[in-house]
Amino acid sequence: MDRGLLLQYAVIALAVLASAWVVLKKQFPGTVRRLRGALALWLVQPRHSPRLQALGRCLAPPASAADGACGGCSNCGPGSPKQH
Amino acid sequence: MNAPSMPSRLALVGNPNCGKTALFNQLTGSRQKVANYAGVTVERKEGRMRGPSGREYAVLDLPGAYSLQPASLDEAITRDLCRGFYPGEAAPDALVCVIDATNLRLHLRFALEVRELGKPMIVALNMVDAARRRGIAIDVAALERALGVPVVETVAVRRHGASELVARIDAMMPQLAAMPLHAAQLAGDHHAQVRDILADAVRMPTRTAKVDDALDRWLLHPVFGLMSLALVMFLIFQAVYAWATPLMDGIEAGFAWLGAAVAAVLPQGPLSSLLVDGIIAGTGSVVVFLPQILILFFFILALEESGYLPRAAFLLDRMMAAAGLSGRSFIPLLSSFACAVPGIMSTRSIQDPRDRLATILVAPLMTCSARLPVYALLIGAFIPQKTVWGVFNQQGLVLFALYAAGILSALAMSWTMKKFRRDKGEHPLLLELPSYRLPHARDLAVGLYERGMIFLKRVGGIILALTILLWFLLSFPAAPADATMPAIDYSFAGRIGHALALFFAPLGFNWQICIALIPGLAAREVAVASLATVYALSAANDDAAAQALTPLISHGWSLATALSLLVWYIYAPMCISTLATIKRETNSWKQMAFAAFYLFAAAYLASLVTYQVAVALGAG
Repeated sequence: MDRGLLLQYAVIALAVLASAWVVLKKQFPGTVRRLRGALALWLVQPRHSPRLQALGRCLAPPASAADGACGGCSNCGPGSPKQH
Repeated sequence: MNAPSMPSRLALVGNPNCGKTALFNQLTGSRQKVANYAGVTVERKEGRMRGPSGREYAVLDLPGAYSLQPASLDEAITRDLCRGFYPGEAAPDALVCVIDATNLRLHLRFALEVRELGKPMIVALNMVDAARRRGIAIDVAALERALGVPVVETVAVRRHGASELVARIDAMMPQLAAMPLHAAQLAGDHHAQVRDILADAVRMPTRTAKVDDALDRWLLHPVFGLMSLALVMFLIFQAVYAWATPLMDGIEAGFAWLGAAVAAVLPQGPLSSLLVDGIIAGTGSVVVFLPQILILFFFILALEESGYLPRAAFLLDRMMAAAGLSGRSFIPLLSSFACAVPGIMSTRSIQDPRDRLATILVAPLMTCSARLPVYALLIGAFIPQKTVWGVFNQQGLVLFALYAAGILSALAMSWTMKKFRRDKGEHPLLLELPSYRLPHARDLAVGLYERGMIFLKRVGGIILALTILLWFLLSFPAAPADATMPAIDYSFAGRIGHALALFFAPLGFNWQICIALIPGLAAREVAVASLATVYALSAANDDAAAQALTPLISHGWSLATALSLLVWYIYAPMCISTLATIKRETNSWKQMAFAAFYLFAAAYLASLVTYQVAVALGAG
């Protein structure tokens, strides 16, 4: 396999993985959140290397907002304040 | 009071349709939906603003309430949040009670009730411009004295219409917080107090505007009113087809050029196929329907702004009651024309739990905007564009019929559910009819921009992601060396499509349609993108792959198959977000499973009958 074709397959693999992640996050946010939490908890255990622990902290899902009933549009929540 | 570094919390409260959300948008720079009817906001929204002094505020937009003794879920949210009982929410530092200056008799009663909470409060006297036009003279100083709280005039729909309110809040915030009122001393007969305040501070020439009365005589008439409603809806669907075609042709040509340009630049290979056959063919086939969606929403937004929609609810109340719904179901069902998710959420304003459940279960039958690309594709391919009876566009007529079929199916379903429940009583409709208003150009523009951005974000997000995944499943694994069939038949998706085709063959669906149904679970318009990708990858050569989807399916499918798929999408049982929202709002897996089952069964049976009848009539 020549290098050009290999590069094309690498780009496609990245695009497919990113797409799968987007679909999972949009359609099954609760499941993704639980998975991220479980993986992060496992990674931050002291027996793992500091690098893996740091990765675990990156993977940990952010704290949820008080009200998650936005129907998945993800447009609500405070943004930057409007200056008057 | 919060620490200095924490933003002060302001809550906007008031009766429904007093302009809280418009004011919220003015204060925070948000773009929350506003409309000229009650019950648009059913949950709290939060935004931020910074006053002239540099002090920062968190502003909460709460659902409208007629009383702090709640009769519905959204009113309970407002009461609990104001009192500081809402889970996970601190009580607001101060309340901004928004009252409609054209309807003070109703709105002052609620303001008095809010005052009894004993929280620091400021009154925003909204829509003062409309009140002046009607000749309502309000003595703001007298109103301030009577209420015992600051009163500020606002026009929430105008730029800088809330500047004075911001300045007053900013200047008075420390004093407001330091001087809470004492609830017990203020309690009393609110109706009597309102009468006294109106006598002291307000001069009203007429109770309602003459224009409103004149229009209502016709538009609320039992016969002419219904005819007007049917005519309005009919004209909207005519316009969708008559106006959108040139724009759609332009977008289609643009994507065809882009595909050809990319194919010419990139060498033949998998990456070129992903970009041309997958991303450009798939997303381009969906974006082309943007003009139709915008035209449809232009009319819906204009009707919302005008104040006509509550009248339509009133007109349809008798029909809806006969079908087991109520006039209160009208607004949630109307919202479902955009998307069933906010429609189902807005059922929180329905007080009766039985009516609410019936509305939730039939809301997915309303034709959401995601179905419009599918309808438009099939109508464009199979219904000739010609004029009927000298004036009507035939394609527009078919689109109108499809929307009507969704509405009639919802009524039939709720009527059936009514047959099986014990409590068959009907609940009277109490609905506030707002004044007619000319749609505000800025609100229309913002609403259209929002709808357009929602659609394009879906194209750039979930639709693009699903198109890439589908392209992958349609392209891998490659055909074996001794392949006798087209390569796509050996792919993952090809095999799934052929397996599903056995189940859907009685409906006339080929394997390409079966593949398109799967990503349609996440977003219905992906069905169009999927078909475009499937046909592009199935093409024998580049010229065939570059063809638009419409001529491909018009030559490849029978009329019976197209009709069957159109009927399938009236029920369109596959939308994960809608089912998840039903589960959340009913808090019941059983109700969600029931909705999924009945929608699927209805879609399958209706498509089966349509296809078999069409074949029997020679359309197969």
